[in-house]
Amino acid sequence: MDRNPRPTSILNSLGEEIIRIITPVSICMLLVVILVSILNDDSSSASNLSSSMTTIATMAYSEDSSDSIGDKLKGALLNSLVFVGVITVVTFILVLLFYYRCTKFLKYYMGFSAFLVLGFMGGEIALFLIQDFSFPIDCFSFVLVLFNSTVVGVLAVFMSKMAIFLTQAYLVVIGMLVAYWFTLLPEWTTWVLLVAMALYDLAAVLLPGGPLRLLVELAISRDEDIPALVYEARPVTYNDSVPRGSVIQRRVWRDRSNIGSEGDEIANSGSNPNLNANSGLNSSSTVGTFLHVGSDQNERNLVHAEEGRVSGGDSQLTAPLIERRISVQMHLQEDAASGENLALEGIGLGSSGAIKLGLGDFIFYSVLVGRAAMYDFMTVYACYLAIIAGLGITLVLLAFYQKALPALPFSVMLGVLFYLLTRLLLEVFIVQCSVHLLMF
Amino acid sequence: MTVAAGIGYALLALGPSLSLFVSVISKKPFLILTLLSSTLVWLISLIVLSGVWRAFLPLKTTAWWPYGILILSSVGFQEGLRIVIWRVYKRLEDMLDAFADKVSKPRLFLTDKMQIALAAGLGHGVAHAVFFCLSLLTPAFGPATFYVEKCSQLPFFLISSIIALAFAIIHTFSMVIAFNGYEEKNRVQQLFVPIVHLVAGILTLINLASGGCIVGIPLLYFMAMLTLMYCGKMVLRRLTENQRSQ
Repeated sequence: MDRNPRPTSILNSLGEEIIRIITPVSICMLLVVILVSILNDDSSSASNLSSSMTTIATMAYSEDSSDSIGDKLKGALLNSLVFVGVITVVTFILVLLFYYRCTKFLKYYMGFSAFLVLGFMGGEIALFLIQDFSFPIDCFSFVLVLFNSTVVGVLAVFMSKMAIFLTQAYLVVIGMLVAYWFTLLPEWTTWVLLVAMALYDLAAVLLPGGPLRLLVELAISRDEDIPALVYEARPVTYNDSVPRGSVIQRRVWRDRSNIGSEGDEIANSGSNPNLNANSGLNSSSTVGTFLHVGSDQNERNLVHAEEGRVSGGDSQLTAPLIERRISVQMHLQEDAASGENLALEGIGLGSSGAIKLGLGDFIFYSVLVGRAAMYDFMTVYACYLAIIAGLGITLVLLAFYQKALPALPFSVMLGVLFYLLTRLLLEVFIVQCSVHLLMF
Repeated sequence: MTVAAGIGYALLALGPSLSLFVSVISKKPFLILTLLSSTLVWLISLIVLSGVWRAFLPLKTTAWWPYGILILSSVGFQEGLRIVIWRVYKRLEDMLDAFADKVSKPRLFLTDKMQIALAAGLGHGVAHAVFFCLSLLTPAFGPATFYVEKCSQLPFFLISSIIALAFAIIHTFSMVIAFNGYEEKNRVQQLFVPIVHLVAGILTLINLASGGCIVGIPLLYFMAMLTLMYCGKMVLRRLTENQRSQ
C-alpha cells in the first residue's frame, strides 16, 4: 500500500451532475422506445386507439395515409398552430394565477393531474400490455395494485418527504406515460408539432413579452419558486478539501443583486409545489422550456457574485478559498392536458448542488425518440445521440450566457435533423455496405 | 429468430465493450461524456460519407473496385477525423489541467489520459457495432432468419455481429495507440493506426467473393489481435517507465 494515498484526480468527479441528469433522460427514452416497439405492431390493441384518437392536437385536421404530401403538411401545420395557440393561452392563464398568488390551487391541480396520468393513462397502457401478453390477472387485483401505485405516485410527486429515488422513479414514469400518448398522434402532426413547440419555447423565453419570461421574472422578483413538476437528481457529495455548508448564492441576471431570504431551502425541489394538470386521456402536453440562471445573495454573504466561477452544471468543485455556488436554474414549463392544464417545471442546480430538470423536456425528448422508433432502430440511435448533444450544448450555453435560455430548441432541431439525414442518407449507405459484408 | 437470438447477437457484438464500459468507464462520469461525444463524432462522419456517396448508391455493379473506392474514401476520412479529435483533445487537456490547478488538485495522470483515449476509442467501436450491426438486428427478433448468398454457412446476423466485434476491438485500442503516438511523436505508432484500419477495411472486401468470409473473418480477427497486443505492449512500456520515473 502507498504510504501516502494518491490524491484523487479531477477525472473522478468531473461532469457528475451532467451524467446524473442524462441517465434518467436516457432511461425515460429507453422505456418509451420499448413501449412503442412492444405496443405498436399492427396486431396489438394500441393501434386501434391511435387511429381514432381525437385530441386538441388533431382538431384541425386528421391525417389520412392516402392524402398527398402537400395536404399532410398543411394539415399538420394547422394542427400545430392550434396546439401552440392553446398552449400560449394556458401559459398566460398560469402567469395570471401565479400573479394572484393562487399557488395552493395550482398545487392541488398538479396533484390531481398526476393522479389522472398515473391512474388512467397508466392503467390503460397496463391493460394493453396485459392484453398483448395474455397476462393472467383478475380485475380486482388489478384495480387494487393500480390504485395503490397511483396514490403512492401522487404522494411521491407531491410531498417532499419521500425517498428521493421513489420521487425520481415516479416522475420518470409520468414522463414516459405522457410521452407514449403523444406518440399515438399521426406522424406528420407529431414532427411539425415538435418543431412548433421548439420555436414556441424560443419565443416564449427570449421575447420580452413571452409568458415564460414573465413567469421567471415574477418568480425572481418575489423570490419564490414556480410551482412545477421537477425532477431532482441526487445531490452530489464531495469529500474534497472544500468544506460543505458553504454559502449558497443565487445570482439574478448578473446585474441585480437581491438579498435573499430563506431562498436556499425553497430552491430544493422538495418544497417546489407541483403544478401539473392533466385532465384525462385526451390530453396534449405542451412544454415551453427555458434555461434560466438565477441567483440570490444570502443574507450572510453580501459578496457580489460577479467573478464567481460558473458551475453551469459542469462541476460543483469550487476553489478552496471561494465558497460559492452559483445555482443555475433552468425552468421548463409544461402544459399537459386538453386545455386548462399547465405544468411548470424547473431545471436548476439547487442549493445542495443537485440538478433539477423539469418534466417537459423528458416528455418531448421521449416523443421524438419514440416517433423515430416507429420507423427503425437506426433512427433511434441517431436521434438519441442528437438529443444528448443538444442537451450538452444547452448546458454549455447556459454556463456561458448566464440568463434564461430555452432548453428545447437545440435538442429538438438536432433530433429532427438527424432523423431526416439518417432516414434519407445513412440508411441506404449502411444497408448497402452491410448486406455485402463490407465494414470499416 | 426470437428475442433470445436477437439479444444473443447484440451481446456478441457488444459484449466486451459492455464489460469495458461497466468496469472502467462507468466509474468516471467524464469518461461517459467522452464516450458519448466520440460516438456522436463517428455518427456525423458516417452521415457525411453517406451524403457524399448517396448519389452513387445503390451500386449495381458486381465488380469489386467501386466498393474498394468506397472503403478507401471512408477510412481516409475517418483517419483524418482522428487527427482533428486529437487536436481537440489537446485543447481539452490544457483546459482540464488549468482547472485542476485552480482547484488545487493534481494534473491529469498518465492513466487518466489513457482512460480518456480508451473511452474515445470505445465510443468509436460502440458506434460501429451499433450502426453496422445492431440497427439491422430488428428482424432477428422475429421468427425467421436471413442468409446472404456470398456467405451462406451462417446467418447474416451472426456474421455481422462477429465482424462488428472485431472492428470494435480495433477501433477501441487503435485510439489509445494513436493518442500515445501523437503525444510521444512516435512515427511508427502514428502510422500503425491508419494502416491497420485500412487493411481491416480492405479485408472485408474479401467477403464479396463467394465463400470469401471463411478467409476474410479470421484474417480480420488476426488484425484485431495484432492491435490488441501492440496496444498492450505499448501501455505496459509506458506505465513501467512512468513508475520508474516517479
